[in-house]
Amino acid sequence: MAMSLSFTGYVLKNLRRRRLRTILTLSGIGMAVGAFVGLVGFSTAFEQQWMRIYSSSGTDFSVIQGSFLNTTLDDSATAKIRALPMVAQVSPTIFNLMDVTPDVNALVYGWNPNAFEFNSLKILAGQRVRNGQREVMLGDMLAQDLNKKPGDTLELQGTEFKVTAIYHAASTLEAAAIVMPLGQLQQLSGMDGKVSTIDVRLRPAPAGESQETYLKQAQAAIQAAIPGARAVPAAERASSNQFVKLAQTSAWGTSLLALLIGILGIANTMAMSVFERTREIGILRALGWKQWQVLAHIEVEAALLGLGGGMIGIGLGWCALCVLAALPQTASFFVANLQWPLLVKALGIAILAGLIAGALPAWRAGKLSPVDALRCD
Amino acid sequence: MSGPILEVRNLFKSYDDGRIEALRGVDLSIDAGEFVTISGHSGSGKSTLLHLLGGLDIPSSGSVLFRGALLGSAVNLDTYRSDHVGFVFQAFYLLPTLRAIENVQAPMLAARHHDGDRGQRAATLLREMGMEHRMDQQPSKLSAGERQRVAIARALANDPEILLADEPTGNLDSTNSARIMEILTGIQKSRGMTLIVVTHEDEIARAAPRHIRIHDGRIAS
Ligand SMILES: Nc1ncnc2c1ncn2[C@@H]1O[C@H](COP(=O)(O)OP(=O)(O)OP(=O)(O)O)[C@@H](O)[C@H]1O
Ligand SMILES: [Mg+2]
Repeated sequence: MAMSLSFTGYVLKNLRRRRLRTILTLSGIGMAVGAFVGLVGFSTAFEQQWMRIYSSSGTDFSVIQGSFLNTTLDDSATAKIRALPMVAQVSPTIFNLMDVTPDVNALVYGWNPNAFEFNSLKILAGQRVRNGQREVMLGDMLAQDLNKKPGDTLELQGTEFKVTAIYHAASTLEAAAIVMPLGQLQQLSGMDGKVSTIDVRLRPAPAGESQETYLKQAQAAIQAAIPGARAVPAAERASSNQFVKLAQTSAWGTSLLALLIGILGIANTMAMSVFERTREIGILRALGWKQWQVLAHIEVEAALLGLGGGMIGIGLGWCALCVLAALPQTASFFVANLQWPLLVKALGIAILAGLIAGALPAWRAGKLSPVDALRCD
Repeated sequence: MSGPILEVRNLFKSYDDGRIEALRGVDLSIDAGEFVTISGHSGSGKSTLLHLLGGLDIPSSGSVLFRGALLGSAVNLDTYRSDHVGFVFQAFYLLPTLRAIENVQAPMLAARHHDGDRGQRAATLLREMGMEHRMDQQPSKLSAGERQRVAIARALANDPEILLADEPTGNLDSTNSARIMEILTGIQKSRGMTLIVVTHEDEIARAAPRHIRIHDGRIAS
């Protein structure tokens, strides 16, 4: 029967006392964390899908144009790279996002029909596309959505293509995509003589040379051969991909803004709470609570609001990810999954937001003189 | 005898940059185990003196010594409040979110007590106050007399040597007043505590072996 009161027990009672305000504050921070989980979760999943493409095709470097505005390379760069002694294979590519139907858009890859990228695809039915032909191959996910099989035709931007094959790929970015001969995609996108990326496979490192220095040398050689270009190593390619970068920047930007609003919400709640409880804080001090204990119990209250909001936010974010994974516009980019690092980050950010928001009110509560606080009505 | 537990030397306290002088040179010595009442007109400085004796506030000049050690320097005020004094106020000052038994435990959170003890200890104290049937009530459901009994149990939570009461019967009817004073003096006797009660009721003031009168911030007698 004799239940012991604890520090957190007291804090929880204070939160429960003003239920409506607590709920409103929780929803505020919950939505902010939800935006974080949804958006950052989306961009992370997106990045992972790119990672899979790169690792399954066995590329060592992707050569891209270095400047931000000009994103294409001249086709002639391919020959220059092929001429380098350490280069084994080069493959110029284009990718583009296109409307397939009014509802569905898909990534379209332009590859040379003999390119090594085809190694990462498994043809389930039909034949590989041929050079110079208006032919496409469809990933199995997209084929299922569009209800197409080899022999059918597909219209892309007013041009009819023949579906020659259905393939399977590890990444949704390829499994829900279209592959066509490079020349066809150059024509279709108005990019004659241009490519967006040149994938490079190196010869094995000469005996006695470390892989690391070999890669560094190759990178320097490629960049020297094509002024203005950047050779991005396999490990960095996914994160330096333009789409991924854009997705990440906007995800973090939007969620930081939402978090800022959530923090202001908690700060307001805690400031009001300290103000209303001035007398009580005086009582606690009279009972022997130390300055830091008063400060800490306000901070714990704020951190608990953050933690609660964080858990609500993870739920909301998960719902958002499921919706995104089901929408035809975005389904091709990723599969919904929540990963530990993201959840830990979300909860960490939520608690931190609470602590930041509670800092000033807590400091003010700690500073109150016991007698003045007691006198206040 | 055990010597003075509290000594006050030339104590001054002013407010509003010296415009209001609440205490103007108080000297006082109180022995351990003494029962002292303090009375005086409204505004004479009784509460101010009690707050300084309890380490709730700091003097403008002069000193308060607890067992010969200067409050605020040799003795940390927070520690002094949590371990050595208990307060009882006219307006009870119970924490509204906490049940009676939890209110009694609030001071224990500031001191070092074993977790398991707290509830037990609070229940024992409430039983001592005749509150065994009301332990799980919220303060708002208690009568004024009951609230003050919870407040007294809470003041005893950390087993202090000194009990300070500022008009403890000011919000009570005569029956309840008598009961509360009985409890306070009973505690003082049975535990050998030092009890200092501020009051404006002559009857209560005279009940103590030692009665101090304050006039305009000075001790009159
Ligand atoms: N925080 C404060 N700011 C300004 N003046 C104060 C403050 N606290 C007390 N005073 C003034 O100091 C004087 C003494 O106040 P104190 O509360 O000690 O009187 P008291 O004897 O307890 O009176 P009462 O019997 O009405 O409780 C009064 O004139 C009061 O107005
Ligand atoms: Mg007073």
